[in-house]
Amino acid sequence: MEIPVFVPSADAERMRRARRRRSNLVGWAFILPALIGFSVFYLLPIFRAVEISFTDWNLLRPGKWVGVSNYVKIWNDKNFWHSMWVTLLYVLYNIPLQTALALGIAVLADRLSQSVVLRAVIVAPYLISNVVAAMVWLLMLDPLLGMTNEFIRWIGGTQVPFLTSPDYALMSVAGISIWRHVGFTALLFYTGLKSIPQYLYEAARIEGASEWKQFRYITLPLLRPVMAFIMVTSVIGSFQVFDVIAVTTTGGPANSTRVILYYIFENAFRFNKMGYASALSVVLFALLIGITLIQMRVMRGGDSDLA
Amino acid sequence: MRIAKILASATAISALLSGVARAEDVTISYWMWDGNQSPEYRKCADKFEAANPGIKIDVKQEGWDNYWTNLTTGFVAGTAPDVFVNHLSRFPEFLTNEVMVDLTDRIAADKTDMAGYIPGLAESWNKEGHQYGLPKDWDTVALVYNKKMVADAGVAEEEMMNLDWNPKDGGSFGKVLAKLSVDQAGKHGDQEGFDKTKVATYGMVSNRKGDYGQTEWSWLAVSSGFKYIDKPWGSKFSYDDPKLAETFDWIKGEVAAGHHVSQEEAGKIGGSALFAAGKGALSPDGSWMIRWYKDNSKFDIGFAPVPKGPEGRRSMFNGLADSIWSGSKNPDQAWKWVQYLGTSECQTIIGNAAVVFPARPEAVDAAVAAHKTNGMDVNAFKMLATPETTFPFPIADHGNEVSSVLNAAMDKVMLGDGNTAETFKAANDEVNALFQ
Amino acid sequence: MKNLSIGRIFAWFCLLLFCTVSLLPIWVAIKTGLSHPNSVFTSNSSLWPTDLTTGNFARVLGMESDIVLSSIKASPINFAIAIRNSLIYTGLIVSGQIFFSALAAYAFARMEFWGRDVMFYAFIAATMIPSMVLFIPNFILIKEIGWLNTFAGMVAPNILMAPFAVFFLRQFFLSTPKELEEAARLDGCKPFTIFWRIALPLQKGPLATLAILLSINAWNEFFWPFLTGHDESVRVMAVALSDFKSQVGDGQPDWTGLMAAVVLSIIPVIVLLMLFGRRIVDSLQTSGMK
Repeated sequence: MEIPVFVPSADAERMRRARRRRSNLVGWAFILPALIGFSVFYLLPIFRAVEISFTDWNLLRPGKWVGVSNYVKIWNDKNFWHSMWVTLLYVLYNIPLQTALALGIAVLADRLSQSVVLRAVIVAPYLISNVVAAMVWLLMLDPLLGMTNEFIRWIGGTQVPFLTSPDYALMSVAGISIWRHVGFTALLFYTGLKSIPQYLYEAARIEGASEWKQFRYITLPLLRPVMAFIMVTSVIGSFQVFDVIAVTTTGGPANSTRVILYYIFENAFRFNKMGYASALSVVLFALLIGITLIQMRVMRGGDSDLA
Repeated sequence: MRIAKILASATAISALLSGVARAEDVTISYWMWDGNQSPEYRKCADKFEAANPGIKIDVKQEGWDNYWTNLTTGFVAGTAPDVFVNHLSRFPEFLTNEVMVDLTDRIAADKTDMAGYIPGLAESWNKEGHQYGLPKDWDTVALVYNKKMVADAGVAEEEMMNLDWNPKDGGSFGKVLAKLSVDQAGKHGDQEGFDKTKVATYGMVSNRKGDYGQTEWSWLAVSSGFKYIDKPWGSKFSYDDPKLAETFDWIKGEVAAGHHVSQEEAGKIGGSALFAAGKGALSPDGSWMIRWYKDNSKFDIGFAPVPKGPEGRRSMFNGLADSIWSGSKNPDQAWKWVQYLGTSECQTIIGNAAVVFPARPEAVDAAVAAHKTNGMDVNAFKMLATPETTFPFPIADHGNEVSSVLNAAMDKVMLGDGNTAETFKAANDEVNALFQ
Repeated sequence: MKNLSIGRIFAWFCLLLFCTVSLLPIWVAIKTGLSHPNSVFTSNSSLWPTDLTTGNFARVLGMESDIVLSSIKASPINFAIAIRNSLIYTGLIVSGQIFFSALAAYAFARMEFWGRDVMFYAFIAATMIPSMVLFIPNFILIKEIGWLNTFAGMVAPNILMAPFAVFFLRQFFLSTPKELEEAARLDGCKPFTIFWRIALPLQKGPLATLAILLSINAWNEFFWPFLTGHDESVRVMAVALSDFKSQVGDGQPDWTGLMAAVVLSIIPVIVLLMLFGRRIVDSLQTSGMK
């Protein structure tokens, strides 16, 4: 808040208002196209989903109003709590490792080479869709026939039932997903690194700062807006993991990989409980909004150190 | 006068136009999921179109998963096909939601030949006297075996045809499984010094044990007297039956002895893959897989009937049907097509392709003969297709929820060390609670 | 800096290890596509194709193939059409998303207007509702408009707005100094001119990255095009692949055919990357404030 040094005249006040009105107008004009897309294809169906969550709609026949009973059911549903727990575990397996690896690779690639081929190799796994990636890993991780276990047996280890034992399945799924996304995340980091003004590094070097010091005091702080973006989007994505699980484990063995989105899918399209599935989605929605707000607050993702 | 004349000619023209419109072809869309069958059904459609000018058939095939998604969104949005291939596991849900046409009156009016179907097939598509589909084919389960491995183990093929089993000591089936298992040192499962931790070939490989266990365990449990459910469309499952626990304890014993692939090792690619890779001597599977086994096994294979349990031989008897969508704009033409699909003529075309076993006995003979020319003796599947030796799929509401609970329980039983009977009891209570 | 220290060697080693792990599964897909169908399981753990054949590729393309199996009667994919459709679909979506998202992102990062932060968080929040519950209402809407099996219907929900892109570009606008734009404003430039001539060109690198990622996303997008564009005339590659994959009813998928199809389907993306790769890398390098 600036403290006014003089009392504004009526004229200046009017001008400022006019300027603010114009700036409002311009701002909304800039977001208008996106706003239309947002309203029609996100906002409307979200309202619709909230509405459905208060009904027992089963997809095929009009539902009837059931009040908050779906939400009460969720509170008492041990499958829901179990799936939330599994999802949380998944996020913990997935995010730290993936982010650290991606940052490491981005920094290495930035420092070591400018080759196009290297960059292409890094994003290569992302070219393949989730479903296909999951199928290829299904072949590779098979206990008896897969090459991963063939290799483990060859070096003298005991075979690991990657996708078929409750002890390993969730980790394996997280691994597949890290494999596919780490290059993607690395590319985002890399782009962020490239936007950091070079003169800062040059100045640091002149002052004799080590590579680590440069990383710690220049790279990391200036990467913060990008870091915030990556953390927020990958946590949201991680909470919504689905494809890989649908192909490799279908929530098993013994429900050890039944994440919340798989449970929502089962309710919506297999148990024909669209009402209940919508209520679950609304709960997940609320939870993710909370998590994201906290993340943005903690990482101060809204401002920048440069400006 | 002139005006009247113009009016008259105008009506004449419009009558003419509407006449043209009426003569326009009606297109009946027909959806199925099996890519191996769609070309054969196209042949049926060609014959049908020739015999019924004015009706065109649009056969569309789409793989299993996409098929059901598209069908459901089709029902929601009004873009579903006039006629679709139906599966028993979806039947209850479609019934409650009234997406199928009740065919009962049409069958009565047209005196459709329902007696000509193999007994048991049409009945599965009937609820309380109302018929919702005409049968098109059926399947049973048999044992697929690796001829060389069976010979190497010193088991005569004759013996394979006459196996018996019981949950106490496994009967001759259990002995054969032991003989067929070979460790990495070449020792067979019935020999001294067999290393059950280093098995090269299992006596039996199968898919992971799950919900209804059609090919994996149903033929064992039911042959010893297990019954899934009180009655078709019932609401009381009996997975707490000690006979089921007994069967599973026997299977777990075989796994522990190294004669049967474990739940972890069965993997997601399935028993058929393990069999083709030579990891197992024997694989129980359904008749829809006959051609797959022939194509993908680099060794000679044979088919043996499932073993005779304390109550005799038993196989699940499952059949598909053609149903008409209740939102079809042309139900009369759709019905004509469904009827034609059930005729001897079309069924024999399907039989000759040797893809599935059609629902009419004369067409089944065509299929068996066609398999024979391919060098396959498929009698092991056919001989079980009698009312005495088969049991139906346990049709009930909440099918997918039931199956989700049971899948988790089966994993627990097969992977854990908990008490089999208790785990099944808990799952069964959970399942039955769905019907409260 | 260019001397070979132990640290550098170790760094190279890590990078190479990572590349191997990245590429191995892709090689497995290629190798499987080059193997005979009945060798998939017997030699699944081998690193080389067994009974090497190009028959699967021929089969998928609908050409004469040396693989004749009665259990596989899959209808081939019409690649020319599928690739054309995917190119149209991806091109429309990506150009729309980038342009409209950049506009919005710029406003969120640089402009002061009433309701700005609420709108921004609302946009981000849009990614938090599982898309499963959005598909059905959107599908019904598109069907009501009569846009089923048209490109219009397939691109409609995504062309105007990609929360991911808005968020991404906003963060980059935030991390660029705004002095240039201020100067332009003092010179009397219109907001759109500032955006188009000054702010946007500074973000060449992020825009290039975004273009790559959004293109790959759009290329692999499955469920929505599957629901709305199933006609062969508009059917995109991902949907064609899925149809191909599940042609064999129960039992085993056609692994070799599928892997051959997958390899063929990513070739266009690789070609695009190679064509534009140099440019993208250049723009990445010039984007940093030197």
